[in-house]
Amino acid sequence: MNKKQIAITLGIMCLILTMGIIIQIRTIKSTNKVVSQSFTSNNLRDQVLKWKEKYDNLYEELQEAQATLEKTRNEASKNTEGSEEKEEALKKNNILIGLTDVKGEGVTIILKDNNSISSGSLSITDDVSNYLVHNSDLISVVNELKNAGAEAISINDQRIVINTAINCAGNVITVNDQKISSPFVIKAIGNSSYMYSALTRPGGIIESFNSYLITSVKESNNITIKKYTGVISSKYMKNVE
Amino acid sequence: MILIAIIVGCIVGALIGLFAPMVSYTYSGYLAIAIIAALDSVFGGILATLKKNFNLTIFITGFFGNAILAILLTLLGQKLNVDIYLAAIVVFVGRIFTNLAIIRRYYVDMVMKKIEDRKEKKETNNK
Repeated sequence: MNKKQIAITLGIMCLILTMGIIIQIRTIKSTNKVVSQSFTSNNLRDQVLKWKEKYDNLYEELQEAQATLEKTRNEASKNTEGSEEKEEALKKNNILIGLTDVKGEGVTIILKDNNSISSGSLSITDDVSNYLVHNSDLISVVNELKNAGAEAISINDQRIVINTAINCAGNVITVNDQKISSPFVIKAIGNSSYMYSALTRPGGIIESFNSYLITSVKESNNITIKKYTGVISSKYMKNVE
Repeated sequence: MILIAIIVGCIVGALIGLFAPMVSYTYSGYLAIAIIAALDSVFGGILATLKKNFNLTIFITGFFGNAILAILLTLLGQKLNVDIYLAAIVVFVGRIFTNLAIIRRYYVDMVMKKIEDRKEKKETNNK
């Protein structure tokens, strides 16, 4: 081997080495903002980062898949006759099951934990947990709204769809498996005066909350409710022939 | 010539590294091990040059072979739930230190010899 070859190979190796070092430094800089000493929390942080990465990747994939679905649908509707009607029906159904952002008139309800109450100021028969918003409170509000003809409901931007569960998970509430906490902003689209009066009627649900929680109900002409971000899938149910 | 190639390689590598996409956090551990292994062979190479038995083929195979072997061992360790990468780091860093010690001794010896030579020259001149 002559000197030229040696120089070139050494240069390439230095290139690879410095490239690796710089990439590694950048990666560590972007992830190791907080260096924790304990082994378990380091491990947990690793886990969280890995899962978050997986989640981000999957979400991107989902987004792409939805885009291709939309494209194929458009193409399919171009090609065949009568499929435009189907396209319309599909759009309608998507709106109904909550896969699109929607807007319209409706009400906004805000429920807050009543933090001004301390255990000292309570009477013996009273309980501090009455002054916090529970999942049952949210469920009864949603029930009342649906009863009054709400077409789309969301709690802290979590859309209520057919497979939504409102659960208690320790000191937070989960809606669609996403953790949410006080203040709870419940948006509903529908006939706003119906819903407003159903909620605020004497002896109604807001009145029963008012003695414990901090509540506010507002009518509005322009409410936007975000779409459901998960996937609605069915595995067991089939059409009856 | 060789020195220029090394410097150009380093600069270009750093530039590419700055603009290259980041490795995902899952794999950054493997990259770190590979870097340590590569650094080990670099110091080994410097030592070989000083001893005048430097062989480019051995150097290149060591550079890539060590890196790949270290990555594979780390992978195996993760599958078996044993921190094999710790062993790899101990071996590689230990070797880097011994190599550095030998290199340092070589240069110290050289400098000392020069100083002594000068002294002798002065003494002979004085006489």
